[in-house]
Amino acid sequence: MASIISIQNVIKRFPVGKGHFTALENINLKFGKGEFAGLVGPSGSGKTTLLNIIGSLDTPSEGTATVMGRDIAGLSHKESAALRNQHIGFIFQSYNLLPVYTVFENVEFALLLQNHTAAARKKAVMEALEWVGLTDKVKSKPAMLSGGESQRVAIARAMVKRPDILLADEPSANLDAKNSHQILQTMKQLNQELKTTFIFSTHDEKVMQYLDRTISLKDGQVAKDVLADVAKV
Amino acid sequence: MLSLKLAFKNLIGAGLKTWLNVLVLSISFVIIIFFNGMMDGWDKQAQTDTIAWEIGQGQLWEKDYDPYDPYALIDAHAPIPSDLKSQITAKEVLPVLIVQASIYPQGRMQNIQLKSIPADQEILELPTQALKTEALNTPAIIGKRMAEATKLKVGDQVLLRWRDKNGTFDAREISIVEVFNANVPSIDNGQVWVSQASLAEMTGLQNEATLLVTGKNYEPIKDANWVFKDHDFLLADLTAIIQSKKGSASIMYLMLLGIALLAIFDTQVFSIFRRQKEIGTYIALGMTRSQVVKLFTIEGGAHSLLAALLGAVYGIPLFFYLTKVGIPIPESSQNAGVPMSSEIIPTYGAGLIFGTLLLVVVAATIVSYMPARKIARMNPTEALKGKIQ
Repeated sequence: MASIISIQNVIKRFPVGKGHFTALENINLKFGKGEFAGLVGPSGSGKTTLLNIIGSLDTPSEGTATVMGRDIAGLSHKESAALRNQHIGFIFQSYNLLPVYTVFENVEFALLLQNHTAAARKKAVMEALEWVGLTDKVKSKPAMLSGGESQRVAIARAMVKRPDILLADEPSANLDAKNSHQILQTMKQLNQELKTTFIFSTHDEKVMQYLDRTISLKDGQVAKDVLADVAKV
Repeated sequence: MLSLKLAFKNLIGAGLKTWLNVLVLSISFVIIIFFNGMMDGWDKQAQTDTIAWEIGQGQLWEKDYDPYDPYALIDAHAPIPSDLKSQITAKEVLPVLIVQASIYPQGRMQNIQLKSIPADQEILELPTQALKTEALNTPAIIGKRMAEATKLKVGDQVLLRWRDKNGTFDAREISIVEVFNANVPSIDNGQVWVSQASLAEMTGLQNEATLLVTGKNYEPIKDANWVFKDHDFLLADLTAIIQSKKGSASIMYLMLLGIALLAIFDTQVFSIFRRQKEIGTYIALGMTRSQVVKLFTIEGGAHSLLAALLGAVYGIPLFFYLTKVGIPIPESSQNAGVPMSSEIIPTYGAGLIFGTLLLVVVAATIVSYMPARKIARMNPTEALKGKIQ
C-alpha cells in the first residue's frame, strides 16, 4: 500500500527552562490510504505531539514528516493551512465546535474555506449530517447538544470535505460508553466507505477495540506497532 | 466577504457585550456629528448674517482705512468716486462714513464710532428707514448690545460730541429712534448710526465715505483711493474664530471617541484571550493565520458599522428635529463678540457624515488590529488546549 504519511527519524524537542524536553525520539512510521490506526500510550508518551506533526500544526525538530507528498517542515504557514484545508480533518477531545454557529454552519465552515457554491455546500453538509444521523439538528446551537451529538457534529465537520486523513485526538474521552461505541462505529463505517485514513490518539480501551493497527508509544518512542486481527470487531 | 460574514456572526453571537460597545461608540459618533453640525451651522448662519447686516457682497475701502486702528479714521475718508454715482442711485452701492465721536449717556463719557448710512438703502438689513423719522434732534439708531451697555432706549436723547473736518469739536443732542436686534456685534457694539445727510452736515465731509458696501449687481471700478475687499477677506476673521472653536470642541469629542475605542480594544484583547481554543480550531480547520487576524480585526472594526446603524436610528430623528427647532444658545454667548444667533440651525453635510463614519471605522479597525496581531505569533497546538499564551 502506498503510504500517504511517512515519518522518518522524527525527533521533537520542547524548550523547558534552560534545557529541553524530548517528546518524540526517532519515530519511524508509515501510514497508507484507508488505514484505521491508533497511537496509544499513557499521558505524556507523545501521542498528541505526533498527531500535531502529522496534521502540520507543528514541525519536527529533526527528521522528516511527509504528508500527502509534502514535507511538513518545509511548508509555509499558508501551505500548511492549505494542506489542512484540503486533505486533513480534525476531531478533538472537547469537540471544539464554534459556539455562535448552528450545527449546519459548524459543518459548513470547512467548505466555506474551499470556495464551494452555496448549493454544493448545502448538499455536502446534509450528506455529512446524514452519515452521523443528525439531520434533525441542523438549526441547533452546540450548547443545545449532548456530548455524543457534539462529537458527531465534529465528525461531520471533519468529514464533510472528504479528507484523505482524519486525525482524532482522544475522541471518546468526554463520552460515556454507549456514545463512545456509537462514535467509533460511525467512524469505522466512514473509513470503510470513503477510504479516509483515520489516526487516533487514545488511551481508551474502547477505541483500541476498533483499531486495525495499534502503535504503542512509550516515553516518546514506538514500543510496538501491531496489526489487529481483522475479525476482532 | 467570508471574513465579514463570519465577523458579523461572531459579533451578533457575543450578545450584550457587543451591543454595549456599539452603544457607546454610536453615542460618540452622534456627538461628533452633532457638534460639527452645530459649528458648521453657526458658521453658515454667522456668514449669512454678516453678509446681510454688515458687508453686503463686498466692500470698497478707502486706502487708509484700517478697522483695527481708530486713529486711521481721522484720514480714512475720501470723495465718493463719480463712477459710482449711478450705482449709488440704483442702490447697488451704499457709502458709509465713519468718524470717532463720544456720547454722554447718564453723564458718563463713552467713545463710539459714529457711522452714516443712506436712510433709503436696501443692501443691508439695518433698519435705516427709521432715520427718516421726524424727531426733535438728529435721529440715530443703535443696536441692542449698545442699548444695554449705555442703558439707552427708543425716545431717549443723548449728547453727542465729534470733531468736524477742520478738527474743531462740536456737540449736539441726538434722539434714539430705533434699537435694532442683530446677531452681528461688529455693527452694534460701540456704534451709533445716523443718516448720511446728517453726518455730512455735522462734519462738513460732503459726498465722502470711509467705505462703500456693494450689492449683488455691483460693477467694479478702478480707483487708486479705493480697494475692493471680497467675502474671503471680510469673512476671514469669522472663519478663523469658528475653526478655532471647532478645534477646541474636537478635544472633547475625540476624548469620548477615545474612551469608546478603548472599550473595543479591551473587548478585543479579552476576546482573543478567551477564544484561544476557537482560534486554534480555525487554524486546524485550514484558515491561515492572516485570515484569523483579519477575522478578529473585522470583528472589532464591525462595531463601528453597527454603531453607525444604531446611531442612525436615534441620530437621524434627533438631527432632523434640531434642524427644525434649532439649538438654543444662552444669551451670555451672544455677547461673546462674534456673530451668534439665539438659535443655531445645525448643518449636516454629506462630507461631515461620511468623514465621521470613516474616522470611526478606521479608528475602530486599527484598535482591533493591534491585539489581533498577536494571533499571528500564537502556537496553534497550545491554543487548541486553551493554554494561556
